[in-house]
Amino acid sequence: MLKRTTALAVILLLSACGKTTTGPAAPEGAPAGEPDAAAAGRTAGYNPDRNAYFGDLHIHTRDSFDAYIFNVRATVDDAYRFAQGQTIRHPSGFDMTIAGGPLDFYTVTDHSEYLGILPAMNTPGTKLSELPRAKDMFSTDPDKILAAFQGVGASVREGVPIEEMYDLNTINTVWAAHVAAAEKYNQPGKFTTFSAYEYTSVTSDTGDGGFGGGNLHRNVFFKGTAPTQVFSTLDSTNPEDLWDWMDKQRANGLESIAIPHNSNVSDGQMFRLETYNGEPLDAAYAEQRMRNEPLVEVTQVKGTSETHPDLSPNDEWANFEIYDELLGSYNVSATHGSYVREAYRNGLKLQETEGFDPFHFGLSAASDSHVAGGAYSEADYWSKVGIVDGTPVARGSVPFPGTTSWDDQPDNQITRNAKNWFSRWSASGLTGVWAEENTREAIFDAFKRKETFATTRPRMRVRFFGGFGYADGIMDAADLAHRAYEGGVPMGGDLVGTGDAPSFIVWAQRDPNGGTLQRVQIVKVTSDGEDVIDVACDNGTPDPSTRRCTDNGASVDMASCTPVNSGASELKTLWKDPDFDPSRRVTYYVRVLENPSCRWSTWEAMRNGTPPRPDVPQTIQERAYTSPIWYIPGN
Amino acid sequence: MTDKTETASRLRSLLGEPLVHFVLAALAVFVAWNMVSQSRASASRTIRVSHADLERLASLYAAESGALPSKEDMLAMVNDYVRDEALAREARQLGLDQNDTIVTRRLAQKMTFMISDLADDPDPDEQTLRDWYTAHADRFTEPQAITFTHVYFSEDVRGSKAESDASAALTRLNAGADWQHVGDPFMLQRTYGDLPVREIARLFGPDFAKALAAAPASDAWFGPVRSALGLHLVRVSANMPSRVIPFDEARDAVLADWKDETRRNENEAAVQKIVGRYKVEIEGADAK
Repeated sequence: MLKRTTALAVILLLSACGKTTTGPAAPEGAPAGEPDAAAAGRTAGYNPDRNAYFGDLHIHTRDSFDAYIFNVRATVDDAYRFAQGQTIRHPSGFDMTIAGGPLDFYTVTDHSEYLGILPAMNTPGTKLSELPRAKDMFSTDPDKILAAFQGVGASVREGVPIEEMYDLNTINTVWAAHVAAAEKYNQPGKFTTFSAYEYTSVTSDTGDGGFGGGNLHRNVFFKGTAPTQVFSTLDSTNPEDLWDWMDKQRANGLESIAIPHNSNVSDGQMFRLETYNGEPLDAAYAEQRMRNEPLVEVTQVKGTSETHPDLSPNDEWANFEIYDELLGSYNVSATHGSYVREAYRNGLKLQETEGFDPFHFGLSAASDSHVAGGAYSEADYWSKVGIVDGTPVARGSVPFPGTTSWDDQPDNQITRNAKNWFSRWSASGLTGVWAEENTREAIFDAFKRKETFATTRPRMRVRFFGGFGYADGIMDAADLAHRAYEGGVPMGGDLVGTGDAPSFIVWAQRDPNGGTLQRVQIVKVTSDGEDVIDVACDNGTPDPSTRRCTDNGASVDMASCTPVNSGASELKTLWKDPDFDPSRRVTYYVRVLENPSCRWSTWEAMRNGTPPRPDVPQTIQERAYTSPIWYIPGN
Repeated sequence: MTDKTETASRLRSLLGEPLVHFVLAALAVFVAWNMVSQSRASASRTIRVSHADLERLASLYAAESGALPSKEDMLAMVNDYVRDEALAREARQLGLDQNDTIVTRRLAQKMTFMISDLADDPDPDEQTLRDWYTAHADRFTEPQAITFTHVYFSEDVRGSKAESDASAALTRLNAGADWQHVGDPFMLQRTYGDLPVREIARLFGPDFAKALAAAPASDAWFGPVRSALGLHLVRVSANMPSRVIPFDEARDAVLADWKDETRRNENEAAVQKIVGRYKVEIEGADAK
């Protein structure tokens, strides 16, 4: 509070001198990359042409009802300590250290429903621990444990509180502790945190009486001050009611956004073309949704939601880390309405026919780790649900104990869960943002303007701009980023037509501590179709007829998981759409592909001396997706 | 507002420690009291972990995790079991299992005690703090940080010419050419102020960080230096070695660190003290 007052005073003083320092625009004539260190109120890394920052926006600790049952005991403090490079303990007993070094931002998003209630139920002496349900939940009888847990899951899904367990005093006290922890670890210029939680709406009951179903979860992030009580499914399971609540908070000065995730297992509900209650969509719905949900989490441990091979049959890279089983069940999620690219197309359709677009969102990524720390490494993976998938056997990357071949696997609960769920999960992902500095304000503003990109784990960086006046030589200009901002809009922006064809600056840089790049693609979406176009290649230029790079020969030595050929460190191009029609709306986003590398399951098999699991890919191409640039025809 | 914030922050500190630790800390106090007030009957001081116990632990694990426990998992579970059993027995000796009122009252007293304890937490004396500072100097050290400007030569753009282009540019730069118009565009910044070496490694890869860490400050450009991204000409204008923050400057951080760790250690010590009173026998394992 003191700090904010001081910053405000500084701004007031500066405006009194007639020198405002607000606004994202670069100072007139600032030379490329010259740090504007003199400006007051800015942190050391300030860059008017913006830096790339990486973070995970989706982390659970023991205060989530499910995590506690997964034997997670790590606290909010442990989570933030992990993100800053300290080592914490996995519930299965091994140490976890963050791959790739500390992150720039990190957010704990525990389930708000029964937040912190299970730890209290497991603490002798509390009233909650005296409940029969507590005795069952922490008994030694697996059937009782399961029944008690399913009961809680059902309550979260149905939105009907278990009265004796729904202790708002405890929940609010634990929430206050989370807010305080976010304040404690937030260090402007170095490390950013937000007060945040997960709203856990589930639809499509799978009939097991528990938590299972279609995922409508979203994480809610507060820019600054957080309310003392949050909105959960025990208030309403309808996400539109969450938006109403957020609007109300906003009116009271508490700004927030929500980021939905795992649309891939939403059973077609996340981007459904009706409201939650089955009413037709309208402009007010679209406006409210976009005001509250500017971003969608496109990749995480439970799979990638960009697109599905059935939806994008002509995209050779669409079959990537597809995971489609509803929460806690083996039921397969509906495909339509569950993937981002199709939502972009439907958004344009709605825009053209009805005049509004409820899917005008940017992209983010996260791990959804339930053990306080994300596994951002294929070579050092621990998945996400604690003791439930804490070992290679549980994850199905190595044959069941007592067997050495994949042909003679026993059929039991462990192997079934591994096959249907855990073997198909991913070592993903991270959000990249372009922001002037590493502060709450700058990063939150980047979320709002969707200047974000999602990666499946690596810290590769992607710039993407669209404009009408970019000069031919711009890609060689020393101050390229500066000119790109001056002459156009960055990812997340609307590019309003002038009648001319726009050009796009597409620029990708490898993770300096990771793999190299193979190709950069533009994904072009219109109301009636889509196209994937290679625009920059590791070797040569794309073939204009096939719009594909030639094979760069990259592969992996499967005996050691080392890459055979190296790819590019940096790929960039100034691209024009050869089929551009100035009168049609288009959504363009960039996809960057690394050279192939071993999938986590292959690493684990290699270390175990057994063959890799045959029904999952042995190698993958890590990737990044940018938020789109929306071309909108001028009048 | 301040009061509220302080209360919240106190509560947060409390909750930052697992609630169970309150019980444990409370137990430690009661145990000490108990020992003074009465000579302890020599109740069973042996915790026996039988085959049946081991099997139960293993099957519980398998049921919860869907996997058979490894040797490490078993070891961890046995440790937890012994720990819980020791504490539970102490609790029973104190009669904590007999009357909920006792538990409630003791917890309430302990809670009150700990809150006031935090409020009046006497700071450690000067010497304790200074010793702590000396013993953990690495925690109060600012990392080596470098201020540098670099010009980038992309091998993806220039191919094998990148190196000779860079060498030619080096001569021009050292003759006074304007660095802002030399080399290829770089996606991130061309100038960084006081960037810790660890950050340089995150942005450019470890080899580049190592090269810069070893470069003395100078007006002259040098290179090309290879990074994970290509070749660079570099001018290091400041190279601040890592610096141990003087005690007076670091005092607040030292105090916070001392408090954090002391609390964590005290909780653990309380548990260990109780566990340590028991002899542990595990069926089928070598006696130790």
